[in-house]
Amino acid sequence: MLIEIKDLYKNYVMGELEVPALMDINVQIAKNEYVAIMGPSGSGKSTLMNILGCLDTPTAGQYMFNGVDVSQLDDDALSAMRNREIGFIFQNFNLLPKLTALQNVELPLVYAGANKHERHEKAIQALQKVGLADRMSHKPTELSGGQRQRVAIARALVSKPGILLADEPTGALDSKTGVEIMALFDELQREGNTIIVITHEQEIADYAHRTIFIKDGRIHSDTPNKKRNF
Amino acid sequence: MQYEENIRVALRALIDHKFRSFLTMLGIIFGVASVITMLSIGEGAKREAIAKYQDLGVNNIIIREKKLSDQELEEVRAKFSPGLSLQDASVIKEIVPGVIYTSSQSELSTDVKYTDKSAKSTVIGITPEFVNIMNYKTGQGEFIGEKHYDAALRVCVLGAGVARTLFGSENSIGKMVKIGDQWFEVSGVLQSKTLFTETVGELAARDLNNDIYIPLSTFLNRFTHENMLASQIQQITVQVASSERLVEASTLINGILQRHHFNNEDYNIVIPFELLRQEEKERQIYNFLLGAIAAISLVVGGIGIMNIMLATVMERTREIGIRRAIGARKSDIMSQFVTEAVAISITGGIIGVILGVTLSLSVSLFTDIKTVIPLYSVLVAFGFSVIVGISFGYLPAKNAANLKPIESIRYE
Ligand SMILES: Nc1ncnc2c1ncn2[C@@H]1O[C@H](COP(=O)(O)OP(=O)(O)OP(=O)(O)O)[C@@H](O)[C@H]1O
Ligand SMILES: [Mg+2]
Repeated sequence: MLIEIKDLYKNYVMGELEVPALMDINVQIAKNEYVAIMGPSGSGKSTLMNILGCLDTPTAGQYMFNGVDVSQLDDDALSAMRNREIGFIFQNFNLLPKLTALQNVELPLVYAGANKHERHEKAIQALQKVGLADRMSHKPTELSGGQRQRVAIARALVSKPGILLADEPTGALDSKTGVEIMALFDELQREGNTIIVITHEQEIADYAHRTIFIKDGRIHSDTPNKKRNF
Repeated sequence: MQYEENIRVALRALIDHKFRSFLTMLGIIFGVASVITMLSIGEGAKREAIAKYQDLGVNNIIIREKKLSDQELEEVRAKFSPGLSLQDASVIKEIVPGVIYTSSQSELSTDVKYTDKSAKSTVIGITPEFVNIMNYKTGQGEFIGEKHYDAALRVCVLGAGVARTLFGSENSIGKMVKIGDQWFEVSGVLQSKTLFTETVGELAARDLNNDIYIPLSTFLNRFTHENMLASQIQQITVQVASSERLVEASTLINGILQRHHFNNEDYNIVIPFELLRQEEKERQIYNFLLGAIAAISLVVGGIGIMNIMLATVMERTREIGIRRAIGARKSDIMSQFVTEAVAISITGGIIGVILGVTLSLSVSLFTDIKTVIPLYSVLVAFGFSVIVGISFGYLPAKNAANLKPIESIRYE
């Protein structure tokens, strides 16, 4: 199993109060799976995704990634995980506004210690993959929303991580552009990537092979997607 | 993360906020500039002092007759003091250990003439040892030597200033000049000497370039002092083997002279090296004050940097979050922001060095104060600005590194 989550809890501390955001989560996700996470607003989808992406830590429970107990890792090791094993795609892209598309895509490789030449090569490849080879020297503000998200995807892909995590990747895009992005995810999945996508839209979730439904911090249902035929 | 990348990011941040960065740098700029300017003034003064004392000889003890009024002179003669004499010189050389040379000189202010030109000058009668003690060099011709002295020849060596006044660009060697009412043949002309613009101990300031040197034997034969009671010679210069022996030798010399002059204090003993040391000590106070000013201005500059870096970190919380999310370690963020602080302080340091150098050059150009910029001052000022950048950039960078990735990426 690529991901194994056992009895996971997450509470947010707000002053005196502990607000439970996730309770009793048990999930297993295999390599090359394509999973959609759905649920009402405030149900804890992003909270779960942040834990999966090693951006946040659970209050209790176990998270095994590729056989490694993530809760045992120190900050540097978590950074390395984020850098090499996980590609994170955000709803609002989170590109650095002063860097060009190419520089944004190169950034994970900078922290991986790759040399300039290697960075360049790989970043260009990643941009080609998302169909943006002709926009490399554009700044994020000079790109459309869909293009920005493609740059963000290229950045997530560039260090060839085992898994792509996308928190509402189409949330800020119109539906046509959203469909294009999903088609790209489809292709990436076929090439062997593991993909987890949070979405509100059934249309988007339909691309996935499995849907996990979260409600009030608990897993409400976890079902294979019958509309898809593999 | 590669260092080069850090520097690139830091320089871009600096250029993106030119005006803000410049304001931040001001403290460092003024700190560094003032250190360099003040050090250059101090160094200029030091060089001048050293040159001045070097002319007098660092291993020398100078015994000069005290300037006395006619009445005082009568008094000391009545108390049996013969005044400074050649005999004093030979006793000193015989008795005082460590003395290698003594040179006696007698002086007279007089006019010197060549054709229709005339100059006011001091004629100095010297012994051949003079040349061993003072490193005077002739520009042309030769200096007074044994042969001139032993035969009491009427030859003279002109200071560069007198030579210029009397001869202009004309060759003076072998020409006859009239010193007082005596004719002398010019045997040499001295190289130009630095002006003796300050009084050193008991030695009055004067322009050495206007002196004329003749053999002391000739002097004593040909010239008489106006006052019949004047001493035979005006100065004895004693050279000891090393500067460590100066104090001991001068104590002994004083004892001898007291005895020979029957306890009449009609002479002064000046040790140029001791005066130099004393001046150096005074300069240390100046240097200490300077150091304090520099430290304060650099600390103020550092606080400015810390302030702006704290604001920068706040402002760029999201950027930090994004970098952390894609794999930057704490140490990467840390070094990024320290590099930024150092970039600001180094740039400030460079501008400060340029400003400081410009200032000290202008001081030297537009005032009488001589300045010399010692290389170490540039290095020290620069080194300190780097240290300030690192130490005051540390805390903000630490704050940046310790931000939680998930919280900072959500920061609005
Ligand atoms: N930093 C935080 N501090 C305190 N409470 C938080 C924090 N982040 C999230 N929560 C709470 O945790 C719960 C889950 O939030 P989460 O962001 O995971 O929801 P979500 O399912 O992603 O919602 P949406 O679909 O609107 O994005 C919410 O009740 C939210 O108020
Ligand atoms: Mg969410």
